[in-house]
Amino acid sequence: MASVDADAAGSNGTMVNSAANPPAPSPDRYLVIDTVRKEFDGFVAVDDVSLTIRKGEIFALLGASGCGKSTLLRCLAGFETPTAGRIELEGQSLIGLPPYERRINMMFQSYALFPHMTVEQNIAFGLKQDGMAKAAMRARVDEMLSLVQMNRFAKRKPHQLSGGQQQRVALARSLAKSPKMLLLDEPMGALDKKLRSQMQLELVNIIEKLGVTCVMVTHDQEEAMTMAHRIAIMEQGRIRQCAKPDEIYEQPNCRYTAGFIGSVNLFEGRIDKDEKDFVTIRTSAFPDPIYVAHGVTGFEGMEVAMALRPEKLRISKHEPDLKHNKAHGSIEDIAYFGSHSVYHVRLDGGCKVMCNFVNMKRWDSESFTWNDPVWVSWGDLEGVVLSS
Amino acid sequence: MSSRRSGSTSTWLVLGLGFFFLYAPILSLIIYSFNENRLVTVWSGFSIKWYGELFRDQQMMKAAWISLQLAFYTAWASVVLGTMAAMVMTRFRSFRGKTLFGGLITAPLVMPEVITGLSMLLMFIALRGLLGIELPLGMTTIWIAHVTFCMAFVAVVISSRLSELDKSLEEAAMDLGAGPVKVFFVITLPIITPALLSGWLLAFTLSLDDLVISSFVTGPSSTTLPMKVFSSVRMGVSPKINALATLLIAVVSTVGVIGWYLMARAERKRARDLQLAANQ
Repeated sequence: MASVDADAAGSNGTMVNSAANPPAPSPDRYLVIDTVRKEFDGFVAVDDVSLTIRKGEIFALLGASGCGKSTLLRCLAGFETPTAGRIELEGQSLIGLPPYERRINMMFQSYALFPHMTVEQNIAFGLKQDGMAKAAMRARVDEMLSLVQMNRFAKRKPHQLSGGQQQRVALARSLAKSPKMLLLDEPMGALDKKLRSQMQLELVNIIEKLGVTCVMVTHDQEEAMTMAHRIAIMEQGRIRQCAKPDEIYEQPNCRYTAGFIGSVNLFEGRIDKDEKDFVTIRTSAFPDPIYVAHGVTGFEGMEVAMALRPEKLRISKHEPDLKHNKAHGSIEDIAYFGSHSVYHVRLDGGCKVMCNFVNMKRWDSESFTWNDPVWVSWGDLEGVVLSS
Repeated sequence: MSSRRSGSTSTWLVLGLGFFFLYAPILSLIIYSFNENRLVTVWSGFSIKWYGELFRDQQMMKAAWISLQLAFYTAWASVVLGTMAAMVMTRFRSFRGKTLFGGLITAPLVMPEVITGLSMLLMFIALRGLLGIELPLGMTTIWIAHVTFCMAFVAVVISSRLSELDKSLEEAAMDLGAGPVKVFFVITLPIITPALLSGWLLAFTLSLDDLVISSFVTGPSSTTLPMKVFSSVRMGVSPKINALATLLIAVVSTVGVIGWYLMARAERKRARDLQLAANQ
């Protein structure tokens, strides 16, 4: 089950050849996770995961709860020992090192601020363990406090802070020791929605300013897309796809990824004609075969799925002037979101498709209404052919 | 309207009866401690002379002193051992026999005191006979016996606190470079201090009023206060005992009220701080 086209194949080049000898540490191979496996009493939480993470990268492990992303993160932190596999940071194995001997710090989902210590003492805790001199420690704490703009709360106890303030302190505490890697466990999990989007950008700014390599775990796709340079989609302990946010969205490599990120119209079918520069796919949803203006790795008759994002579909009252990729139907449901509307169009073939329409003019949303006969169409390159 | 009134009247009646049932004996005990008559049940005027008698009773004072010492040492030993047991039950990875271990720790809670006391006595005798370890019956043996059953209560109190404590606090400390021992003393222990304190007080009071187990393992020179009270009541109830009981109640309720007040004040302060934080 190879990937779909040449571009998508390129984006999957993160697999590590486990047979090769470990090469000298390079910025591109800053953190190497090689066929890591973690079992709990026979249950496989992490199933032979391999990843390489670049120096300075913000990397997100994204998946539904129970997919193994948190277990993998805890393996990096040292709270879990992998059943098998290698984890190397800058060419040095982390396996067997307890958490307190790793130059890796973590920001916990609950922030885990020590309730009996002030903000200052919390931030200084890690420095104290290193036996740092008092004056240097004070300077470092002040530096971290101003980094997260919490100077005036230095003497407060954690329970005297709001959620957003607690998060800043937790971040400062995990960055105070200048770790080689920062781990974020559901960093926005405890914040309300409005604060979330503001803190996401702020967090990224701070992390990028310090240039620290960061691995985060989240179940929130928006959060991963906003914050991360690269995303790995996990499902049942395995990595389904690992790529940049736009590649994950525009070039999903399997039905799971396509469905997990954003919304999508999926049409099951078979390859009808497999030519060098185009293929056609016959589906039950459309009377005519779907035309795709690029070749795919596959064969005629192969079962594939066609993934079409709702915003790639055009909706119009009159038949569009296109040779392929159009269908007639009527509007069954309208979901109005203000900035855009989603039309659920029942095609004449019986299949239902979602179609986004940006409300660019103030009265745009009124141009279509329930039961209107409409045409749905899309460009030859807008769909993604999925084989797995 | 009338039905609601009668409903509330009967509610008050039931509540009053309940309180009467619970507290009338104690109240009468307190009142009769100020009785002038040497017969406990005959009121003949107000007097505090029995309090004076109590403090002049050397035997009673000695027994009280022994009991206080015992309770003090028992409380400390129980808190140390109980905390260790609680840590094993809540923080260690599962090991073979962990369930059995937990069961054995908490078994003394449901064990009849007579059996605990008897088995303790037999153990001390066996130690002397089989291993030649000489443990004269007295303070030491009572202390060992008290720690055995008090530890179980302390372990339950502390392990329930430990299991609700956010484990990521300890993980965060470890993540920041503190080894497991340091994490325990710098993070875990300070956070569970209230549970340690209540465990300590629980062990103290349990030891202070234990009669049955103490009676089995006591020696000639170590009569505890409950034993002294019990034996003197058999000779006939003296108003001195009322005075003693009243003093004990006064101490216990003062400690209780102070504890409640401090907790309520901390809670109010916390709510105010939260409000303050939310407003910023």
